[in-house]
Amino acid sequence: MELFDKITELKNEIIKEIKEAKNLNELKLAGEKNLSKKSPLNAMMAHIKDLVGEAKANFGQAMNKARNEVTEAYQNRQLELSEAEIKEKLSKEKIDITLPSVSYKMGGINPFYLIQDEIIDIFVSMGYEVKEGPDVETDYFNFERMNIPENHPAREMQDSFYITNSLLLRTHTSPAQAHAMDEKKGEPIKIICPGKCFRRDDDDVTHSHQFGQVEGLVVDKNINFGNLKATLELFLRKMFGEKREVRFRGSYFPFTEPSVEVDISCMECHGKGCPTCKGTGYIEILGAGMVHPNVLKMAGYDPKEYSGFAFGVGIERVAMLRYGIDDIRRIYQGDVRFIEQFTRK
Amino acid sequence: MKVSLNLLKKFVNLDNLTPTEIAHRLTFAGVEVESISSLASGTNLVVGEVLTCENMPDSDHLHLTAVNAGEKYGVLHIVCGAPNVRKGLKVIVATDGAKLPGGTIKKGKIRGHESEGMLCSLSELGVDSKYLSESQLSGIEELSVGKVGDENVLELLGLDDVIFDLKLLANRSDLYSIYNVAKEIKTLFNKELSLPKFEMVKGEKTNFKVSSLTSKCSQFSAMVVKDIKVKESPSWLKDALRSSGIRSINNIVDIGNYVMLLTGQPLHMYDLDKLPKKELIVKDDIEGDFIALDEKTYKLQKGDVCITSNNKVMCLGGVMGSLECAVDDNTKNIVIEAANFDFASIRRTSIRLALSSDSSQRFVKGINPNQYNEVMALTLSLLKELASAKSNSEVVTYLEKKYESKVITSSTKYINNRLGTSFKDEEIVSALESAFIKVENNKGELVAHIPDSRIDITGEADLSEEVIRILGFEHVRSELPSMTLSVGKLEEKLLKKRMVRNYLRGLGLDEELTYSLVKESEINDFRILNKEEAYKVMNPLTDEHAYVRTNLLPSLMNTLTYNVSHGNPNLAIFEVSDLYSENNRHIHLAVVMHGNDNRQGMLSNVPYGYFHIKGIVDGLLALFNVDDKRVVISRCNEKEYHPGKSAEIKVDGKRIATFGELHPNTLNKYSLKSKDVAVLEMDLDALFNVRTSAKKMSVVSKFPPVNHDLAIVLRDDISSADVIKEIYKVNRELISKVDVFDVYRGEHIKEGYYSLAVSITYTSLEKTLTSEDVSSLEESIIKALENRFNAELRK
Repeated sequence: MELFDKITELKNEIIKEIKEAKNLNELKLAGEKNLSKKSPLNAMMAHIKDLVGEAKANFGQAMNKARNEVTEAYQNRQLELSEAEIKEKLSKEKIDITLPSVSYKMGGINPFYLIQDEIIDIFVSMGYEVKEGPDVETDYFNFERMNIPENHPAREMQDSFYITNSLLLRTHTSPAQAHAMDEKKGEPIKIICPGKCFRRDDDDVTHSHQFGQVEGLVVDKNINFGNLKATLELFLRKMFGEKREVRFRGSYFPFTEPSVEVDISCMECHGKGCPTCKGTGYIEILGAGMVHPNVLKMAGYDPKEYSGFAFGVGIERVAMLRYGIDDIRRIYQGDVRFIEQFTRK
Repeated sequence: MKVSLNLLKKFVNLDNLTPTEIAHRLTFAGVEVESISSLASGTNLVVGEVLTCENMPDSDHLHLTAVNAGEKYGVLHIVCGAPNVRKGLKVIVATDGAKLPGGTIKKGKIRGHESEGMLCSLSELGVDSKYLSESQLSGIEELSVGKVGDENVLELLGLDDVIFDLKLLANRSDLYSIYNVAKEIKTLFNKELSLPKFEMVKGEKTNFKVSSLTSKCSQFSAMVVKDIKVKESPSWLKDALRSSGIRSINNIVDIGNYVMLLTGQPLHMYDLDKLPKKELIVKDDIEGDFIALDEKTYKLQKGDVCITSNNKVMCLGGVMGSLECAVDDNTKNIVIEAANFDFASIRRTSIRLALSSDSSQRFVKGINPNQYNEVMALTLSLLKELASAKSNSEVVTYLEKKYESKVITSSTKYINNRLGTSFKDEEIVSALESAFIKVENNKGELVAHIPDSRIDITGEADLSEEVIRILGFEHVRSELPSMTLSVGKLEEKLLKKRMVRNYLRGLGLDEELTYSLVKESEINDFRILNKEEAYKVMNPLTDEHAYVRTNLLPSLMNTLTYNVSHGNPNLAIFEVSDLYSENNRHIHLAVVMHGNDNRQGMLSNVPYGYFHIKGIVDGLLALFNVDDKRVVISRCNEKEYHPGKSAEIKVDGKRIATFGELHPNTLNKYSLKSKDVAVLEMDLDALFNVRTSAKKMSVVSKFPPVNHDLAIVLRDDISSADVIKEIYKVNRELISKVDVFDVYRGEHIKEGYYSLAVSITYTSLEKTLTSEDVSSLEESIIKALENRFNAELRK
């Protein structure tokens, strides 16, 4: 059956030609030559008219098979070549993947605001309102309403920046307590008041004539010192870690009674003693107490019926402790190399 | 307040208590011990005697000595540089291994000579130089006590003392008294007290007169003591004063100081024979010069508390005595004053004259008003013992009104409720009694008698504090308040400030914080949005911080200058701050961008300019849903800005922001070399208060939009915003978007004109627009622009 051999021979030749096409162009030419109706393989079909019966059928089948094989070979080669072509094209498009990106970084935040926002968020989660009092205060609110009567040492000119005899830059956020009580007119209160404060201190490593505080005030019937204790423990552990020990020391503020200083176990040494806590194992973190009956009375709350607690946290102090900031002036200097170190807690 | 433990020990038993324990307990009870220090320290010390002393051959000041240091140490060879070292001198020897405040002493060679220790001065043992004489400071200590071989050197010298430095808060003025510190120790540790008891002074009748013509003196007592001898104080008294930080002067002055130290009552001593008249009258209406003990002249003014005799000022009450009647070495007879003055007046005088003393400090804090008789008795006994006083008068006293001790009623229920504790009645009562408060207890109803020294205890809240500071804060139940559930929230303006801050930080800008107090020149810079009068501080610390700022940009510009001069030229920073001026409070935002926006490092150096800052303004307006139609942008004619590259924004006719690049004068003023600076100041209150209608969805068309570009030539003074507005006017329904994509000046465009290319998007909610629809719209647009602006289609 030399006819069949011829088909095979021709088919093999064509497949070889297809496989040897070096690029898609050559392949296309080979295709045009061998896959068209007038291709040498198709020309073999002329022989069918010389055949009959089974031979004719066999011949037809052999031709179909050969054509299919050729088509398949063509398609395979086409795939191979186009893949290679894409590969080669892409290989030329290689970039240095370590070059700098287009920056979509969040801007830096002054650690002062980082801490202030964090304190606010903790108390908001505990159901507190947040409200800012004014930086410029009357001495009536800054002192008298805080149970610091005239002639009290804290009212000395040397400690406060006065604008007129009765107007000054507030020396603490505590007057916000009096404002809150005046506004609530006898209703229960749960509020924090963040803000800027000012004292006549020369600026140095640890002192600043401007500084921030967050004041807290809760007033209702039956508020007791234990409520203050629990609230501060919760806050301080959220702020400084669940493992912090919290301790209370007797202290004095004119507007609270009893008054306490609150310490937490040192986050560096966990109470063993180290340079951060000056060897004591504890760090003083805020002042607090039960609202003095006079402060309630002046705001129209009957101290026989109502009681409350209050606390004040220094923002810079917390920021300095948390981030190991060595000089409070850095916070106000605005060097972007400093600011950009801080993005989130 | 410095408390010497040696002195304290005389009045309360401190056995089995370490200084650290005492300090810890005091601190937790609200009496902070700021430091514990030793008066002096040193180990391996021994008393020695110089056997031989020769000059070192090759030195002009060193000596070679042989010192007999007793049986244990034998004879030591020691090199000594002190000028007063000599044969026969009894000295303090620090032997090999001695630990002194300055370091450890070790055997060694000095210039080739063996030295087996050191001969010490008191300052080498850590004694503060203010307690040492000139000769003590310039050489080694010459011992008069002890014998060779004695090792308890510090004790021999009364230097084995531990000093507590108490940081007393305003409420515990009673603790400016060693007696009361001893009582506090008894309260906290239940240790035996041994306070001396004094009977009322018995003395001769006297015609010496005391009185007060001012309400600033509530009590004034005097006692005449005769035939005293002024001399040096005994060493126990000198040591007690030294440990308490007081210099010894002579026995009379020292007794006054010692009594004050023990009781908290300041005394004043007058030379009786120098008083013009046998009287002391308190007045507060005297003006004129006053020559004080320190030989300086002070100007008195009305209101100063003056102690007068025959109308001459003998003492500035509570502050300082006059030179005229001062006790001196020849004084024979004295008058002792123990009085109580209004603390506020004393403080005012003391501050005005910059005169502060241990006495004035005690008056300023407040003293026990009812112990003058005991104080006089103590003083008299010391004068008899140490100044051989022969006779004394009775105590004559002026009293404004009879003093009544305070009585406070309360209940154990109140105290437990306030504290969140469940102390038994007996626990509360015994805590109060341990603090020398006598309590009548009737089934928990309490009547408390407050000791006169505790002027801080005025109400039942104070009783609760006493109970808990004594029993300990650990007894308080930790329990969150049980209040009605409330929704935590930021007030609206804080919330909006946070939106602005988060937005700007999201853009990559750094958030700054600068001082609110600024110098005068900053008040007048960028004085654009807020022209209200700035508050001036009456008593600024420096001119740098003398005014309360009314605008924010100057502060941020200074931050920029700081950064540029510190090598950070490429930055974008902002600050949001409240500003205060007469009766007004404004919230401002300032933004400063400088150098390059190099978001891809050095690969993309786009200089910051007008369009960056305008982008922030547009972004903020969009953030607060301000409708474009209500916004008017116009040129900003403020001197700080570049006249051609700056703008102001009005919303509903109110100016809310100015922004843009800067005038060269401004760049100079802030020492900026680059002109790539863009700044913004915005009145955020105005932005926050823009009323916007409730947000409703607008339908998004399901038909495809058609884009067409249009390039027109316009006169230079016609702004793109006007053109865009005019295009929208043609058909608000179908013209959905107009974007500028090119602005061109130069070749092919005549002078004074420019080409503006815009891309217009047409969208219909009802159908797919045909090319005929679009052409007809485009024609109308071109016609409108021709009519309105004389615009020509660019060919």
